[in-house]
Amino acid sequence: MALLTAENTAFMIFVIFMLIYPSTTDEFDLLNTAYFMAITLMALSLAMIWGKAGILSFGQTAFFGIGGYLYGIFTLNVLGSGATWLGMLVGVLVGGVVAAVLGYFMFYGGVNDVFVGLTTLALTLVLQTFMAQTAGPEWSVGEARLNGYNGMYVPQISIGDLPLYGKPLYFLYFGLLIGVYLVLRWLAGSRWGYGLLALQENRPRTETFGYNVRLMQVQVFCLAGSVAALSGVLYASWGSYIDPSSMGLTAAITPVIYVAIGGRRSLTAAMISSMILLKLSQSLASSAPEYALVIFGLLALLAVLFVPEGFVAALFNLLDRWLFRRPDENARGSPGAPARSGEVSQHG
Amino acid sequence: MAEPIANASPMLVLQDVSKSFGGLRAVSGLTLQVERGELRCLIGPNGAGKSTVFKLIMGFERPTSGSITFDGAGIDKWPTWRRARQGLSIKMQIPGIYPELSVRDNMRVAAQYHVRAGEMDAAIERLLTRVGLAGMSSELAKNLSHGEQQWLEIGMALSVNPKLLLLDEPTAGMGPGETEATARIVENLNADGVTIIVIEHDMAFVRRIARKVTVMNLGRLYAEGTIAEIEGNQGVTDIYLGKTS
Amino acid sequence: MSDGVFNALYQFQVSFAFLLLSAIGLAVIFGMMGVINLAHGEFMMLGAYITTIAATNGVPLGVAVLIAALGVAIFGAIVEILVVRRLYGRLLDSVAATWAVGLILSQGMLILTGPSMQGVSSPFGSFSVGPTSYSWYRVALGIVAVVLLALLYLLFMNTRFGLRARATIQNPSIARALGVNTAAMYTLTFALGSGLAGLAGGLFAPTTTIVPFFGTNYIVEAFVTVIVGGANALVGTPVAAALLGTINAFLGTNFGLYIGRVGLLLTTIIIIRVLPDGISGLLDRWRMRPDTTRSGR
Repeated sequence: MALLTAENTAFMIFVIFMLIYPSTTDEFDLLNTAYFMAITLMALSLAMIWGKAGILSFGQTAFFGIGGYLYGIFTLNVLGSGATWLGMLVGVLVGGVVAAVLGYFMFYGGVNDVFVGLTTLALTLVLQTFMAQTAGPEWSVGEARLNGYNGMYVPQISIGDLPLYGKPLYFLYFGLLIGVYLVLRWLAGSRWGYGLLALQENRPRTETFGYNVRLMQVQVFCLAGSVAALSGVLYASWGSYIDPSSMGLTAAITPVIYVAIGGRRSLTAAMISSMILLKLSQSLASSAPEYALVIFGLLALLAVLFVPEGFVAALFNLLDRWLFRRPDENARGSPGAPARSGEVSQHG
Repeated sequence: MAEPIANASPMLVLQDVSKSFGGLRAVSGLTLQVERGELRCLIGPNGAGKSTVFKLIMGFERPTSGSITFDGAGIDKWPTWRRARQGLSIKMQIPGIYPELSVRDNMRVAAQYHVRAGEMDAAIERLLTRVGLAGMSSELAKNLSHGEQQWLEIGMALSVNPKLLLLDEPTAGMGPGETEATARIVENLNADGVTIIVIEHDMAFVRRIARKVTVMNLGRLYAEGTIAEIEGNQGVTDIYLGKTS
Repeated sequence: MSDGVFNALYQFQVSFAFLLLSAIGLAVIFGMMGVINLAHGEFMMLGAYITTIAATNGVPLGVAVLIAALGVAIFGAIVEILVVRRLYGRLLDSVAATWAVGLILSQGMLILTGPSMQGVSSPFGSFSVGPTSYSWYRVALGIVAVVLLALLYLLFMNTRFGLRARATIQNPSIARALGVNTAAMYTLTFALGSGLAGLAGGLFAPTTTIVPFFGTNYIVEAFVTVIVGGANALVGTPVAAALLGTINAFLGTNFGLYIGRVGLLLTTIIIIRVLPDGISGLLDRWRMRPDTTRSGR
């Protein structure tokens, strides 16, 4: 597997840029960028499950919400230094467990393809609808009032009594983002990851090669759910707040839009595109918020129709062919065969 | 004709197996035994239930009644992937390659759990040479000719080091040259000790490779014997012509 | 008839009408093409807007609704030709694409007309049974739902178009071989489904506020009904609407609107798992049950 590809180069540039960025800007902007990074985890979660495993889930926002709310419930009840960190863990774990249970229910029950989308959409709506009517004081877990659309106010991640802010928060979120990215990339290039690519194309056939397809589907669903839950945790602790709108239909479609535009098969493309699109949408939000979604919706539609691997990922492929010409192993192909490389290992 | 290896247990036993789909009896009371190292042909008119038998062996369907034993183990309740890991491999009628992946990646997907990472490249080369696709590992599978795709699939079915290989109409859509090449591949595999069951309609191919032949009709076992015995059996000709029930 | 019984019947009838009208357009498309049109809610919204604009400008409500249905049908045909047609083999992508279309429609409407529009009030007034007053219009919706179902039945069973449609549903390749223009069939069906969505939106417009997110009130119900009903729009959808109407009316009356909706959604999840082909699937399986008179193979 060659290391010098357009994708990896873009990743290195991205990392260097993000490391230098804090010295060029103010604390408020860093806080803002941290928010982008929290949401970009959702894009990674979706790229993993949609791009790498072929499972279109509209339910990642459900896990986002579970992560955020569980973080809030835990940290409002359990006080003391270190509680917020433990709360993060709790949010991610519960999200992962719910994803595993739902995944088992679906994939071991033979639910696939479009119906996974519908089931996960239904779950998201169940959670949103349920949370929406929790405004009354009887809806609380210990000290934590769920509060319906009034929202739940949650503590920020702190060291001791000091909430993280500015540079430390930025680097924590950045570290988590890159860490998750690297783990997902590693998994995607592993045997398990190859198996996911195969089962995406043909489930029964892949099973005949010895892959426990349904187990793998549950595994990747649980993994993606955990990442989405982490995204929710970071969002909630960033803004000190969470409410059911983060589990609504618009919230559900936004990561789908970003990943469709940037690239569902490439984790790097999804991550970088998400950061850029979030920044763009915020710039547009000050002048004309509705335009952002219309433009992105249109871009996503064009991508799905004409460039299904995503615009940025397609760009990576193009650059690979022009600039990073890789030596073809076994160049003695059959006469007249196009010298196209179908290597999938290049794209993490 | 190769003698069945004088080893204790047969490779595959179907004991009184039946399979019904609603009101349709696809397989009815079938008892079939395949010895280790055999090269068996399974023939019969369309709708005889041959493909269903393969689906039952591989685990895509569960028998309505009866039992299936593979290499001494009762596999009725095993999921497909477990049967595959125990050494069962299949190449079905519908194309089972991954069109969007390269030849090399196709092989890799198939071989991953059976070949160590360090030996993967060498193993893939070996298998590709064996099925006549040496030098094509970077090609996208969908760009291969029909015959080449069939061979790729045989290569993939082989990469799991099968004890028993099921081939469902391996020469479908092939010309005489490709059919002959396929026959050679199948024979070489069998000579290496792989037990093989082949479903075929091309009688020339069957004659070329067959030792023992099993004939099915209307879900039942109709006749079994050497190719000579089967060809001499008027009843077999009749069922192909639809004369008997 | 006691007040309580009448109330329950009325609630059921209203639920049934709303579910059926919301779902029938989606079901027709799903039954023919297997495509889940996630822009269905926005098509209903378009119907509501067109109806409201027409009615506000003096057009009688009934005519306004029909204009809306026609307008959305044409729009649906365009969407089918431009978008859905390119994604026949890629079902998941068609779901994502229709969702994007819906997003563009709702956000676009928000830009064009603002967060809400002045609506029209429902005609026919109200009547009383005991202490409760009921709306004649909602009763009318129930009648329209049944009449619409009958018309669709006639269309699919008694016309040449319907025959060709059913042939295409059963076996597209053979239909093509017999001379059916399946591409045109898909476009017409999508247009029909879209028109039905527009019709429903127009009919519902007098009962609620006219906002760009109008459709979100009904898509949940629509999807649930289609999934529970299965691919047979003529039989599965009304049976599902009746069943779910009962559940919704019961839960909604006793536990409130939210719990009613949660109940519907949970029912969907269970049905997807247990009965993925819906009620239509049950029907098919019942028709194909083992028949002892068939000669055994």
